Amino acid sequence: MHIQLTSQAYCKMLLHTAKYPHCAVNGLLVAEKTKEKKKDGHGGPVLCVDCVPLFHGTLALAPMLEVALTLIDSWCKENNYVIVGYYQANEQTQDSRPNQVAQKVAARISENFNEAVIVMVDSSRLTMSCFEPIVFIYDHVENKWKNREVTTDAFEDWNEAQTITSALLVGRSYENLIDFDNHLDDLRNDWTNPAINKSVLDLC
Amino acid sequence: MASLSEMYDVGWEEMRDKLRKWREDNCRNSEQIVDVGEELISEHSSKLGDDIWIIYEQVMIAALDCSRDDLALTCLQELRKQFPDSHRVKRLTGMRLEALERYDDANKHYDAILQEDPTNTAARKRKISILRAQGKSTEAIRELNEYLEQFVGDQEAWHELSELYINEHDYGKAAFCLEELMMTNPHNHLYCEQYAEVKYTQGGMENLELARKYFAQALRLNNRNMRALFGLYMSASHIAASPKVSAKVKKDNIKYAAWAAAQINRAYKVSIEMSYLDSTFHCFYSFFFFIGY
Repeated sequence: MHIQLTSQAYCKMLLHTAKYPHCAVNGLLVAEKTKEKKKDGHGGPVLCVDCVPLFHGTLALAPMLEVALTLIDSWCKENNYVIVGYYQANEQTQDSRPNQVAQKVAARISENFNEAVIVMVDSSRLTMSCFEPIVFIYDHVENKWKNREVTTDAFEDWNEAQTITSALLVGRSYENLIDFDNHLDDLRNDWTNPAINKSVLDLC
Repeated sequence: MASLSEMYDVGWEEMRDKLRKWREDNCRNSEQIVDVGEELISEHSSKLGDDIWIIYEQVMIAALDCSRDDLALTCLQELRKQFPDSHRVKRLTGMRLEALERYDDANKHYDAILQEDPTNTAARKRKISILRAQGKSTEAIRELNEYLEQFVGDQEAWHELSELYINEHDYGKAAFCLEELMMTNPHNHLYCEQYAEVKYTQGGMENLELARKYFAQALRLNNRNMRALFGLYMSASHIAASPKVSAKVKKDNIKYAAWAAAQINRAYKVSIEMSYLDSTFHCFYSFFFFIGY
């Protein structure tokens, strides 16, 4: 499945990774639900418009993940989104392969969206300038997760994504990024991150 | 560039108190610690008295986290001058080597400390941290187990071991570590709640019931623990939805789930009144109907 990341989705993934450099982090990728399918059977690329940062630290426990998936699923239905993928940055910067947790969550997402992808963030290449895309995209092919080459095609607008992400990293916006863990610590913390979304919009 | 104290209109005492609070809470907000600590050290060191040494240590560790080797070295050199033979300072030297990824040198350094003082727990724990940093989970687990045979009361170590086991998906052993922690800290709601999460993840009816009981216990210890509340709802709902349970068990768990749901609703209502979270509150209503029973 050809996916494209918007600047908002890409930069929030990286902000989440930057906020917790010593932890593994994960989250969900969402796209707008479309009913149209082109007549020749090939849809256009699926545009991941946003991501929802989930957890940091210990990712391998089930109950809060189930709560998050259910709540976010409801939110998606209200906003005409669908969960299309899962992102993760590992604790070990030198290892950016999808582990058991990633595969399990992606399998769960695939129940609702059969071309779900795993996006692994390569935190070893995280820089302030964001001069190159640092994600690996994995598709489920023949029962295995296969890495595909990521070019600037994987972005709706790579230059915009690069500029915005770099600006927000330099401005330390990650300090205000809210993930689901933060929400569970204090319900007032809003995992939809409206403030950061606004910053992204302002920079577009 | 404006100093922090100018930008935020804080005095040096507030900065010092902030650092103390972060020390006590063991926060890892390294960038903030570096910002506040660096200014405090460079502008107000004479006013800090003996506090300065612990501040040097705190700022040094935060500086290592932020790749500020210049600042880390400055702090380390001050500490070395003041405490020339201290093992505590030697451990900081080792941590700097770790931050530079010079793990072999760091290990030699810690081994030297352990030669002089075989009971030095800090050096042993740093060696185990190196194994974790290198991704050598199996060895880290083995060394940590050996360490805990000797130092059975070290809670930080038990917790670290539970994390390592969870990452390896060895939930049974993770549960064992958390049981040790709950035994020695019966009033700690976090350990109860984490234990319940591990049991839930293990799965199966028995574990699910245990999970529900420990989520409930965590709530008794702290009725604002949202994870425990959600966990109670989830485990009770799953039990009630299972075809294998008796009618009475089903009925009881429906009651528990309904109670939890009401509490969660109330918690969201209160937080909404304090902010404007319409979207998340809205979708929370639909949450309750996800498990049909």
